Amino acid sequence: MFQKIKHIYETKYKLLMIIPLLLLVLALMQIGFQYATTGDFVNKGVSLKGGSTITVTKELSISSSDLEKSLQQQFPNVGMTVRTLSAAGQTTGIAVDSALQDSTEIDALVDTLADNFELQKADYSVEVVGSSLGENFFRQMLIALVFSFLLMGVMVILYFRVFITSLMVILAAFCDIVITLAIFNLTGMQLHPAGIAAFLMLIGYSVDGEVVISSRLIKRRDGTELQRIYGALKTGWTMTQTTLVAVIVALIFVQSEVVKQIMLILLIGLLVDTIVTWVQNVGILRWHLEKKHKSSGQ
Amino acid sequence: MGNKITKIFLNWRVLLLVTLLFFSILAIRPNIFGTEGVEISSMLVNSSVVEAGLSNPASKILPTARERILSVNGEETNTVEDYYAVVSQLQANRTIRLETNERAYTFLAPQSSDGEVDLGIKVREASFSNLRMGLDLEGGTRVLLQPVGGISEEDLETTVDSLKERLNVYGLRDIVVRSASDLSGNDFILIEIAGVTEDEIQELLAKQGKFEAKVGNQTVFFGGKKDITYVCRSADCSGIDPNFGCQQFDAGYHCRFAFQISLSPEAAQHHALITKNLKTISEQGGCYLAEDLALYLDDVEVDRLRIGCELKGSSTTDIQISGSGAGVTQADAVNDALKNMKKLQTVLLTGSLPVKLEVAKLDTISPNLGKEFLHNVMLVGVLALVAVSGVVLYRYRKVVIIFPMLLVMLSELVLILGFAALAKWNLDLASIAGLIVVVGTGMNHFIVITDETLRKEAEALDWKTRIKNALFIIMGAYVINLGSLIPLFWAGAGLLKGFALTTIVGMSVGVLIARPAYATIVKILLEE
Repeated sequence: MFQKIKHIYETKYKLLMIIPLLLLVLALMQIGFQYATTGDFVNKGVSLKGGSTITVTKELSISSSDLEKSLQQQFPNVGMTVRTLSAAGQTTGIAVDSALQDSTEIDALVDTLADNFELQKADYSVEVVGSSLGENFFRQMLIALVFSFLLMGVMVILYFRVFITSLMVILAAFCDIVITLAIFNLTGMQLHPAGIAAFLMLIGYSVDGEVVISSRLIKRRDGTELQRIYGALKTGWTMTQTTLVAVIVALIFVQSEVVKQIMLILLIGLLVDTIVTWVQNVGILRWHLEKKHKSSGQ
Repeated sequence: MGNKITKIFLNWRVLLLVTLLFFSILAIRPNIFGTEGVEISSMLVNSSVVEAGLSNPASKILPTARERILSVNGEETNTVEDYYAVVSQLQANRTIRLETNERAYTFLAPQSSDGEVDLGIKVREASFSNLRMGLDLEGGTRVLLQPVGGISEEDLETTVDSLKERLNVYGLRDIVVRSASDLSGNDFILIEIAGVTEDEIQELLAKQGKFEAKVGNQTVFFGGKKDITYVCRSADCSGIDPNFGCQQFDAGYHCRFAFQISLSPEAAQHHALITKNLKTISEQGGCYLAEDLALYLDDVEVDRLRIGCELKGSSTTDIQISGSGAGVTQADAVNDALKNMKKLQTVLLTGSLPVKLEVAKLDTISPNLGKEFLHNVMLVGVLALVAVSGVVLYRYRKVVIIFPMLLVMLSELVLILGFAALAKWNLDLASIAGLIVVVGTGMNHFIVITDETLRKEAEALDWKTRIKNALFIIMGAYVINLGSLIPLFWAGAGLLKGFALTTIVGMSVGVLIARPAYATIVKILLEE
C-alpha cells in the first residue's frame, strides 16, 4: 500500500496537484456561500463586528442554555448567546456575547449577572467594541495581508532570484489561509482579532516549509531530485510534527478562549499546509525543473 | 567530551549568546527569593503622604526599583490584604509612621470626604521581576477613544495631555495614554490602566468636559486653569453640603455636594461686569440677583445657584460650586454625590478637551483572570516543551543533540524577555502569540540545522558547507517572514503591534544569535 502511494507520488505528481486545487475551489465556494447567506465571508466575533462580551470565570449553578433563555427573557430585544468555557474537559466559566454597545445597557446586563450569581468585580471581564472600529479593523487586516503578501513576494525574489519560487510561496500562503478559513467557517466559531493573528502565524510556519523545499530542490545538486524531495519531506514532516504536538497540547489544556482559537486555526492550517507544500508546491517545482531540463537539453 | 565542552564555550558565537543571556537575566532581575512589602502603584496628588515626602512612582521606573511599603505603625504589610486591613484600623488625625524600603515617613492620618481614613495610596503585590505584564495578564482597563470628526495633530497632543492630567487627579500614574493611528489615517487615543478601575474613570475619559458657568446667556467663566486658579478637594472645603445634606424622596435619597474654587482676577472681573446691571429680588427673607448662576457640563445644566445681592458687581474670586447625587439608600446617594463632585472637580481642574471623543473599544479584564491566564500559559508552555522534546528525541535518538537544542531554545526566550524588560514593553496576549511563533519557528530551524548537518547526502560535504546550507534556509525564512510582519505595525490602531514587535525581535535574536550558536554546538559535538 505504502509503496503504491509512493509510486503515485513520484510519478503522477501533476495529477495529484488536483487535490489542493480542488480543496481551494471547494474553500472558495464555501466562503462565497457564507458571504451570500450572511453578508460576511467569515463568522465575525464581537470584536470584529461591534458589540460586547462578558466573560465570567466562575462556575455558575446554571447551564449555558438555561442562562441564555433567562437572559433573553430579561432583555427581550437584544440578541444574546451564552457560551460555556472549558479547559482539559472541565467547565471554567461562561461568556455572554451580545450586540450591546451602550455602557448603561451593558452595566444593566452585568448587574443582572452579578446579582444572580453573587459575582465580585474580579470574577468577570468585559469587552466592548464599537461597530465602526470592528469593521475598520477587519478591513485593515485585509489590507495589511495584501501588503504582507506583496512584501513576502519581493523578499523571495530577492533571496532566491527565481520567479517561480516567489509565486509558489505566495500561492501556498494564499491557499493555506483560504482553505483554513473555509474549514474554520464550518466549525461555526466566531472569529476574534487574535484569530486573525493566527492566520498570520500560519504564514510564518508555511514559509519555513517552502524555503526548505525550494532550497533543497533549486539550490542543491546533491543526490537525485527525488532524494532531495524525500530529504526535504523528512525535515518538513519533523517540523510539522513538533508544531502539531505543541498545538494539540495547548488546545487541550489552555483556558483562554482566545489562545484556544489561535491553536485551532494553527492545527487546521498545519494540516492544510502539509498538503499544499508536499503536493502542490513540490509538484510546481518538479514541473518547473522538468521544463528547465527539457529546454536545456534541447 | 570535556575537550569539546571547552571548545564550545570558547567559540565566539556561543560566547556572544552566553554574554547576552547574562545581560538579559540582569535586565529581567527575577526575585527568586520573594520580596518584602507591597508596592506603591499610585497615590493621590494632594494626599498628606505626598506632603510628608513620599513621591508618586514615575511610570518609567523599573518595576523592581519601585518603593515598597514594609509596615504601617509597626505592623508588617506583606500582602495587599495586610495593607488594607491595617489602614482600615487607623483613626483620623492620629500620627502614622509608614516605613518603606527607602525610608520612614511620619504624618497625620487624613480623613476623606466620606469620613473614613484614606491614605490616598494604592498598592499592589511587589513585582516579581522587571517584566511588565500587560493588561491581559495583570488585569485592568483598556479604552480606545476616537475623536468625533477630524482632529489636528496639535489638538490630539493636547487631548492626550489633558487625559493624562485627568487620570492623575484620580491618583492613577501607572498608565499608558498615547495616540495611535491606523492604515486609513484615522486617529485614536489608547489608554491602558492596570488593576481594577472605578467605573466613573471610564465615564470621565470619554467626556469632553466642557464646563461653563453662565448668568443668563453670558458665560462668566470656563473650566480649566485659565479661569480657575484653585479647586478645593480637602475635607474642610469640599464634601456633602452641610446646609442641605441628604433628603428623602419617594424613590430614594438625594444629597447635595459643595466645594470651593478660586477664580482668576480676569474671570472675577468678568463676573463683576455681568452682574453689575442685574436687578435684585427679595425671596424668603433673603436678597438675590434676578438671574441665577447656571453650571453646564458638556452643554447639559448640572446645577443652578442663587447669587446673593452682596455679590452684585463685585469681583469676587471665591465661589462655591455645588451639585447633587441620588440613590436608593442614603449611603448610595452620598456615594453618587461624591462621585459627581470628583468628576466636576476634575473637569474644572483640567479643562475641556479640544474635541468630542467616542469610545471605540473598551476592555475590562479582571485581575484574577489575568493571573490565572499567566499560570495556565506557563503550564501549557512546559507541557508543550515536554511533548516537543519527545518528538525530537524519537526522530534523532541522540540526547547529545536534544539537550543543547532545548537549552538554546530556552535561552532564545530569555533573550526576548530580557529585551522586553529593557525596552519597557508591556507583555500582553498579542506578545504571547508572538512568542509562540518565535518558539515554533525556532524549533523548525533547529530541525533544519540538525537535518542539514546529519543527513546522509551531506556526509560528503565539509562542516562549513553543511552549516552554510542550513543558515541559508534559516535566513531565507527569516527575511520572508519579516516582509509579512512589517505591515502589521500600522493595521488596526496598533492593536497587533505587540504581536509584530515580539515576533520580529524574537526571530531576529534567534536567527542572528541563538540559532547560529546552536549550529556551532552541533558541529563541535558531532565533528569527528
